[in-house]
Amino acid sequence: MARLLQIFGFLSVLFRGATLTFQSLTVGGIVFLLFVARDSNKHSNDISSPDSSALRTSCLRWIRRSALALVAMQIAYVLANSLILMQSADMTLADVSGANYVLAGFLGIASALTIAALSNADPSRSSALLLLPAAAVIASSVMTSHAMARLDYRAPLVAFTALHQAATATWLGGLPYLLIAIRSTQSTDFARQLCARFSKLALVSVCVLASAGFVLGFAYVGSFRAAYGTSYGAMVTTKLILFGVLLLLGALNYQLVRAGSSSSILSSLKRFGEAEIGIGITVILTAASLTSLPPAADLTNDRVSAVEIFARMAPRAPRLGSPTMQELPEDIYAAEKKAFDSGSLATESFVPGQAGTRPNTPAEKAWSEYNHHWAGIIVLSVGLLALLAQAGRVSWARNWPLAFFGLAVFLFLRSDPEVWPLGPNGFWVTMADPEVLMHRIFVVLVIALAVFEWRVQTGRVASANIRLVFPLLVAVSGALLLTHSHSLGNIKEEVLAELSHIPLAILAVAAGWSRWLELRLPSENQTRHLVARLWPACIMLIGVVLLNYHEM
Amino acid sequence: MYSVRRKCFTPILFVTAALLLLVASAAAHAVLLESSPSLNAAVAGPDVPIKLRFNVRIDASRSRFTLVRPDGTTTPLELAKDSPADTLSARASGLAPGDYRLRWQALASDGHITRGEIPFTVART
Repeated sequence: MARLLQIFGFLSVLFRGATLTFQSLTVGGIVFLLFVARDSNKHSNDISSPDSSALRTSCLRWIRRSALALVAMQIAYVLANSLILMQSADMTLADVSGANYVLAGFLGIASALTIAALSNADPSRSSALLLLPAAAVIASSVMTSHAMARLDYRAPLVAFTALHQAATATWLGGLPYLLIAIRSTQSTDFARQLCARFSKLALVSVCVLASAGFVLGFAYVGSFRAAYGTSYGAMVTTKLILFGVLLLLGALNYQLVRAGSSSSILSSLKRFGEAEIGIGITVILTAASLTSLPPAADLTNDRVSAVEIFARMAPRAPRLGSPTMQELPEDIYAAEKKAFDSGSLATESFVPGQAGTRPNTPAEKAWSEYNHHWAGIIVLSVGLLALLAQAGRVSWARNWPLAFFGLAVFLFLRSDPEVWPLGPNGFWVTMADPEVLMHRIFVVLVIALAVFEWRVQTGRVASANIRLVFPLLVAVSGALLLTHSHSLGNIKEEVLAELSHIPLAILAVAAGWSRWLELRLPSENQTRHLVARLWPACIMLIGVVLLNYHEM
Repeated sequence: MYSVRRKCFTPILFVTAALLLLVASAAAHAVLLESSPSLNAAVAGPDVPIKLRFNVRIDASRSRFTLVRPDGTTTPLELAKDSPADTLSARASGLAPGDYRLRWQALASDGHITRGEIPFTVART
């Protein structure tokens, strides 16, 4: 039971993120079909363009797949929530069946199934009918949003949330369909035509989602101080930054369509589209984590001040000496195990006047800072060597992935000091602790990644697809770091820790997708040279952020 | 809850991608704004009105109050049906002097569950 409740947060964010992603793909595909893929051949004189029917068939196939995936995620979300509610409140299935999230889930499932059925019909028939279940999908999502639970201004907030989600789906959910469409053609004119139509649609969507987002931000964040002093505000700010990156990529695409050389335009459009989709999914995952955080406007106490942030972030000399094991509190593992067994780890909640986590002792803080700072040195070295390797002046620098071995060894020894080999608790006993187990798996993954990328860098791997593993993993890890938000109340230490995580996540997303673009863009695209320098710089900056990590 | 020291070590592993999901944790977003009795308060018995106010609408028919008595036994409390949308209320009757804990579980309109515990004391009169 305790374990079930402990993983509830994880499952909730995972299913919510997947639901929002497939919702966007389903609705975005329908809008794309109606407004971009309409009668494509009518306006094209190029006989090599695929006909409308082929493009519509392709779009309908992906809409159907997205709708079915949405059904699966909705079922999983409703089942997980119901199971938890039945177990924790001793309810029957009949008791939970009337809950708002169940009704919303059923509406979402029924609508997505309708879309799947309609998209299976003859492609030549009108697709306008799909708009109705698409609107119902958005409505089901809004039913479980912050807006529905608000006490004041509920109706306008519901309307703005619906607009925000629909516009997001149209823009970000439509992007993969644009990619599918331009991948299926060799005709530059046809690709330009599709991009021009999608650009207009995207422009309107961006205006709508930005306007609705501004209103929602005003209602849920409320003040500038809340934008940086609370977890919710910081995540909204992160969304804004990623939104800016997406607009930048959109502008590059626009420039390509208007003035790019025809020999590389198609290939460049596809590659920028891939990066846009990846960053778009990152934004959606960030939005999913926002739904599980209380709005900043509701948390008026204990916000982190600018002075506290500056005090935390101010540059200081790194800590290169560690406290001894004897200086650490002896009861960390025992206390955590006891709390876990009793289920209190899962009962995270906020009660006025109640303290949150136990403050770290000075030795624990020193241990943590030492860990971060040495990890920072390793990551900074990785970035520096990668930059040297890119410049091609130091041949041995291409072995930079081997530096990750140092990180693996460091993690193995230092992440869980109470556990073997440093601590008194045996190897197998502590494998029952989920976090220790996770750290052990990380060690294996870091080693695997080091070997993998080293083989790529030294030319031992020929496959172009395998070279994409490293950038993809870095980008995905950055995205997932953004879903790792954890404070229900304004526990200052957790908000400050989150503020140090966010730059790491953004830099990881930037590093991953810039490396992706370096590998994928055609050689004549000038942006390729820029991103080739950008990703090692981002990795170096991650090292600098880690080196400047402090606890107070 | 795990110590902050260990949580903070996780982002160092920015290269390890998907399994980061498994340590992702998210709390529900219904936040308790005020409670009566308040945390660690001493109240007069034997009848104690209980009222919890949240930041969002709560599904009262699917929320729960459980009273933990000084001897460790538990009693479910019936929630009032006429409370405001953001409030859960009940009445604990016949409480002898001693230390009690109110365990609450609230279901927000969006399907998120929040749980918590409020220790309080029924004072001798």
